[in-house]
Amino acid sequence: MRNMKLDFLKELANIGTGHATTALSQMLSGRLFQLVVPDAQMLPFTEAADYMGGLEQVVVGIFVVISGDVKGYMACLHPLESALVLIRLLTGEDKAEIDDMGRSALQEMGNIMVTSFLNALAKMTDLLMVPSVPGLAVDMAGAVWESILAGAEVTSKVTVIRTRFSTEGESIEGHIIFLPDDEDFNRIARKVGLGDL
Amino acid sequence: MAKTVLITDDTAFMRMTLKNVIEKNGYQVVGEASDGEEAVALYKELKPDLVTMDITMPKMDGISAIKEIMKIDPQAKIIVCSAMGQKPMVIEALSAGAKDFLVKPFDAERVVESLRKIGS
Repeated sequence: MRNMKLDFLKELANIGTGHATTALSQMLSGRLFQLVVPDAQMLPFTEAADYMGGLEQVVVGIFVVISGDVKGYMACLHPLESALVLIRLLTGEDKAEIDDMGRSALQEMGNIMVTSFLNALAKMTDLLMVPSVPGLAVDMAGAVWESILAGAEVTSKVTVIRTRFSTEGESIEGHIIFLPDDEDFNRIARKVGLGDL
Repeated sequence: MAKTVLITDDTAFMRMTLKNVIEKNGYQVVGEASDGEEAVALYKELKPDLVTMDITMPKMDGISAIKEIMKIDPQAKIIVCSAMGQKPMVIEALSAGAKDFLVKPFDAERVVESLRKIGS
């Protein structure tokens, strides 16, 4: 059963992330993004941060709370260097650090990616998933990840979908993290005809 | 005289992007609101010909702002520009009184096409 659940999660990640990167590509004049096969895991709270790798690395995290028929949490994480490249591509300004306009551009980009992911899932399942106004944090990966998990009020095991994407000519890396509420996750599975997983 | 537009979006980046597109195409941006409350207040003050409205915003969301603006002026011409393209949300926005719904990311042509169609 566990494998079945992970397979299903990976498929969700594939579809959702496909739409999210399509949205990103459209924002960046049709630039092609390569998707590495998404990975899905169910992990104890304490191991989840390690799973994201590089706890000491400075990252930019954009996160939203999901409400509606499916509740949960979603986030996009980018290493700082990738975030600066994204800001340059989005605003046309080359900055050494993240200024107000850069912050705003990243927030909007994260919002569009996360919402595109949710729109794709909503279409598949006929369930409403409403994202909140996105929050943005720049900190060490460990700290950002901890605050995401704390916001999601995760107490035991968490379901994490992780995807990496990159684009040629520019070094952009990022992760999209989807933390659905366990009960609601089963509702998604039932909607697509898989029953409880 | 150029048609006037009020832009509503909580991110400065999206307001800037929209403003560039709108002004390049012969419209005049008379105001920028960063949430629904501000949009309602600026609508009263500026009486713009057209409004672009984001949905997910702090303080007052776009759906509530559309309803408020329609109460002030049932002839208001509001175009939603939101990433949130799920069917129930589109239906809610249109039944609240929005005239068109653009899903982000959008291309400039689609924005101009909507302004022309709704503004005429």
